[in-house]
Amino acid sequence: MNADFPLLPSSVLRASRRLIARDRSAIFAAALLIAIALPCALAPIAAPYDPNAQPDIIGLQSTPPSLAHPLGTDPFSRDVMSRLLYGGRLSLTVAIFATLVSVTLGTAYGAAAGYTNGIAGTVLQRILDALLSIPRLLLLIAIFAAWRDMPLAGFVVMLGLTGWYGLARLVRGQVLALKAQEFVASAEALGATRMRIFMRHILPNVATPVVVAATLGIGHVIVLEAGLSWLGIGVRQPTASWGNMIQDGSDQIAAHWWISLFPGMAIVLTVMAFNVLGDSLLRALSPRRSMTG
Amino acid sequence: MVDLAPIDTLLCASVTPPDRRALVFILALTLSACEDRSTPPGGKPAGGTLVISVGGDPESLLPPVSSTVPSKILGDLVYDHLAEIGDSMNTVGDAGFRPRLAKSWSWAADSLSIAFNLDSAARWHDGIPVRATDVRFTWQVYSDPATGSPSAAAVASIDSVTAPDSLTAVFWFGERSPMQFYDAVNEMSILPEHVLRGVSGQALRTSPIARAPVGSGRFRFVRWTPGQSVELAADTTNYRGRPGLDRVIMTIAPDFNTALTRVVGGEADMLEQVPASSLADVAKDTNLRVILTPGLDYNFVQFNLNDRRARGRPHALFGDRALRRALTMAIDRRSVVRNAYDSLADNAIGPTVRAYPTTDPALRQIPFSPDAARRALDSLGWKDTDGDGIRERGGTRLEFNLAVPSSSKGRNTMAVLMQEQLRQVGAKVNIYPLDFAAFIDRETKRDFDAVLGGWHVEASPGGIRGTWGSAAATSGNNYGSYRNASFDAHVDSGLAAPTLDERRAHFTIAYQTIIDDAPAIWLAEPRRVMALHRRITTSGLRPDAWWANVADWTIPPDRRIARDRTTAAR
Amino acid sequence: MAAFLARRIAQGVVVVALVATLVFVLIHIAPGDPFSASMDNPSIDEAVRARWRASYGLDRPLVEQYVHYVMNVFRGDLGFSFSMQRPVAHALAAALPNTLLLMAAGLIGGFGLGIASAIAQVRNRGRAADRALGFVSLTLFSVPDFWLALLLLVAFAYWIPIFPIGGAADPIMHEMLGPVGRIADRLEHVVLPALTLTLLYYPLIARHQRAALLDALPSDYITTARAKGVPESAILRRHALSNALLPVITLLGVAFPALLTGAVFVEKVFSWPGMGLLIVGSIGSRDYPLLTAAVILASAFVVAGSILADTLYRRVDPRLRDER
Repeated sequence: MNADFPLLPSSVLRASRRLIARDRSAIFAAALLIAIALPCALAPIAAPYDPNAQPDIIGLQSTPPSLAHPLGTDPFSRDVMSRLLYGGRLSLTVAIFATLVSVTLGTAYGAAAGYTNGIAGTVLQRILDALLSIPRLLLLIAIFAAWRDMPLAGFVVMLGLTGWYGLARLVRGQVLALKAQEFVASAEALGATRMRIFMRHILPNVATPVVVAATLGIGHVIVLEAGLSWLGIGVRQPTASWGNMIQDGSDQIAAHWWISLFPGMAIVLTVMAFNVLGDSLLRALSPRRSMTG
Repeated sequence: MVDLAPIDTLLCASVTPPDRRALVFILALTLSACEDRSTPPGGKPAGGTLVISVGGDPESLLPPVSSTVPSKILGDLVYDHLAEIGDSMNTVGDAGFRPRLAKSWSWAADSLSIAFNLDSAARWHDGIPVRATDVRFTWQVYSDPATGSPSAAAVASIDSVTAPDSLTAVFWFGERSPMQFYDAVNEMSILPEHVLRGVSGQALRTSPIARAPVGSGRFRFVRWTPGQSVELAADTTNYRGRPGLDRVIMTIAPDFNTALTRVVGGEADMLEQVPASSLADVAKDTNLRVILTPGLDYNFVQFNLNDRRARGRPHALFGDRALRRALTMAIDRRSVVRNAYDSLADNAIGPTVRAYPTTDPALRQIPFSPDAARRALDSLGWKDTDGDGIRERGGTRLEFNLAVPSSSKGRNTMAVLMQEQLRQVGAKVNIYPLDFAAFIDRETKRDFDAVLGGWHVEASPGGIRGTWGSAAATSGNNYGSYRNASFDAHVDSGLAAPTLDERRAHFTIAYQTIIDDAPAIWLAEPRRVMALHRRITTSGLRPDAWWANVADWTIPPDRRIARDRTTAAR
Repeated sequence: MAAFLARRIAQGVVVVALVATLVFVLIHIAPGDPFSASMDNPSIDEAVRARWRASYGLDRPLVEQYVHYVMNVFRGDLGFSFSMQRPVAHALAAALPNTLLLMAAGLIGGFGLGIASAIAQVRNRGRAADRALGFVSLTLFSVPDFWLALLLLVAFAYWIPIFPIGGAADPIMHEMLGPVGRIADRLEHVVLPALTLTLLYYPLIARHQRAALLDALPSDYITTARAKGVPESAILRRHALSNALLPVITLLGVAFPALLTGAVFVEKVFSWPGMGLLIVGSIGSRDYPLLTAAVILASAFVVAGSILADTLYRRVDPRLRDER
């Protein structure tokens, strides 16, 4: 390891390279993610219809998959495929931005907690313990139930604000371990400032577990967003998200299965892909810590 | 006096359609196939349990202060009226009315008073005899403004009630009117003075009797476990005879879907309103039969004509009649209703139902025309200047909140459909689904821009005074505070008119006035589709109140199931 | 040990207080008066309102209101639930046993199925069965809670209608049954929600248990056992499993939030009258006193769960006793 001039993502790149060489499931998961995310990202081009348009609320109400509507239509005659793509774009964007918020906060807090000595460090650690005990879903329900008018940006920030504690603990542990290592001590002896040591030596080494946590975190936020939207306090009509699309068909799954089934499957596949990818990254870093088969 | 034409007799159906498309088939069949008519319980051994599945708690069990259907059902089973409207649904004079607490009645020569002779055998469920003073007390409770009864307007024609002796109650009227008998008997459930004495005004709503009623009806109250069930048991020593059933239980599901699954799953016997989207599931169930009755409900988007914060000020958007009309033009009401209800609803034609003989179905409607709506909005100065697709005028966006009771599938569906149609003309709608109690709360506080409301109407068209009349604008059920003196006058004249033709003429003008003023977008007039377990034999399902004769329903002994045979556990 | 426990409990109290503060403040700074829905309800008697005003001191500054609330909570007064028309404490007391029953069933089912699945995977490691089981648990691990519940609901409501699909007991018959009948009725109703929770929760156990077993397998004493000719299955059962259970105990701490989240959705879908249903119901009815209290109580349970897990862990693993 080049301790003086580490490239920030070098360890991640190396891990990824190892993955590509050895891990077929990771390649498959990555391919699956691209297959899902790309059309979603290109929804305005890829979607056959306007996702909110109700072209014929009588004739096209809850019609099964057909050539014109490959995934059928919903009770409002909207095209399920178009909504799936736009909804996916929204769900993925929400998840990615919320995860960015939590990764930033978690890394910063974890590093600060790990780097601070004495009472301040203990206090930061205790606060973290406290935050870790808050049931995230319930807190979010309380927030969104009281703040009905929250705009989408607020929704994303709230998802992010409630999701960084685990990562902070992880980062803190890493920082504590690194602090004890020789190269940090030698850098200190050479007169490097704390900030410089942190940016140069600690952060790059923390990057890998952060990337792993972020990968798993995105999947988690997708599920969370879907759950909140399904309860009616997440993304609201007419905007499509995978969660509220399931809601649109929840009470008629038996008769009109396509309305809820496709968004549900989209969530499962996406989250699975993120989980496999996160696991594979983890395995590449510490081969014994794998969690999947 | 003239007998009003009876409304269509109740339709009933018992078919098993293969899928949803068979709805039309059911509707066709209902006209011919009717299996059971009035079946008096006499001779048949009494017993059995009727379990009614509902999607929310009743608000209160005190009739003067309750207006939701679950409360009404229970109130009518536990309490009695003086007389009950007959199957012919006549509301003029006393023709067809059946004796209840009053064994008989006699009119004064000038028709300004009616003397009711109470049944001397009638007892309250606590054993105390029912007295004429109870009747007088009841009228006082209903008419006391402090009670805030939604029925106050309906009993306003009664000047006073006197009790010359313990079994005679005399109603005095200020003037003769065709429906004075109906006004005297239909609205008021007779209450026990000895239980309620000293309680008045707001305290009524939280008094113990509002949660544990003591009535004189053929079912007595057993218990109410909030969020779970309300249980009634047969009053075996009732003056009108023991009911055909042992128990009536209202099982309260936390939401509508659960209420439905309970009936389909066999844990309950009856669902009052099956939504079109679930009809196929219900019809497939061999244990259930589907009963169709003509609608006495209509629903609508109601605009708040006043500002939700400052009551005196007109609403920034809906204070303007022309804007309301423009928004109405943007809605394809026929398709919206068809999408949400399939063939189980007609388009509402105004604040009324087709079942009333006073309703002219050919009333002139505001036509559906998005282009006309856009032109009207343009000319009113509502223009999309910032290109975000939403019109604005003088800093105000053409955007409003629409509150919808989350328990109503049909209304939620219509809200999403209208949201898109209004977007097409540049108006933004934010849908707010609310729990039914919270929804009613918003309505009564007038804290809303627009609500997707609905009314279940009574046998008489006079109820419109309480829902759209100026008198109910500030504190009554006229939540949008619509006021039009000409409308009020024609409703009053219509109710006072001696012949059907005159009544109809006045009501037609009144309806046309309110339709043109567009205080609401009239949406659907749903038919009532009930699901009922096949083992239960019904009797005289009255269109305005199917529960009116539940005491005469029976379950043949050989068809009884486990819950019919058990008796109430203590 | 006692000192450790005392410290953890003190810490737990602080955490719950923190959550209470957070929820209280969030709801109070939200637009609109949080209690207006219930305060202005015409069906609420003036005396009741006066009592509320007194107990909440709604005209007071936020800090003072907060102090009031906290003091009331310590006195056991959680406020009055407008949607349930009874004190919040009563509503919660009625719902709590149902949620605990469901969570206990999910916990037992999850651990049982999880450990079994992990053992089966390790015994067949590298083979198709391992991969298949791994795939199943990965899939279930990725399924949104409510979606799985909905699928099971449909499957059992329409295709295999053998279980009742809503509620905690037959709404009518339960009262009339004998003791055995009541238990049977309860069990019949708990099957589907508990199965859902089990399926949602077991992958977490299985994944960790499998990893822990694989960690334990190469240890010296297992190598010794193998050298002695002890069969593989016995090694797994006797040595590896007992050793690998340790890390899984820590999962109890993680289990509570996961189970609780699952319970919220499962209760909603199957109308199971527990805390989750109360919480979800209070969204629509804007019953803020109920919502606040339910969230506080739920986080108290999460904290209690993690204290329990820590304590167990220390009891099982002597090395930890001297730490800290």
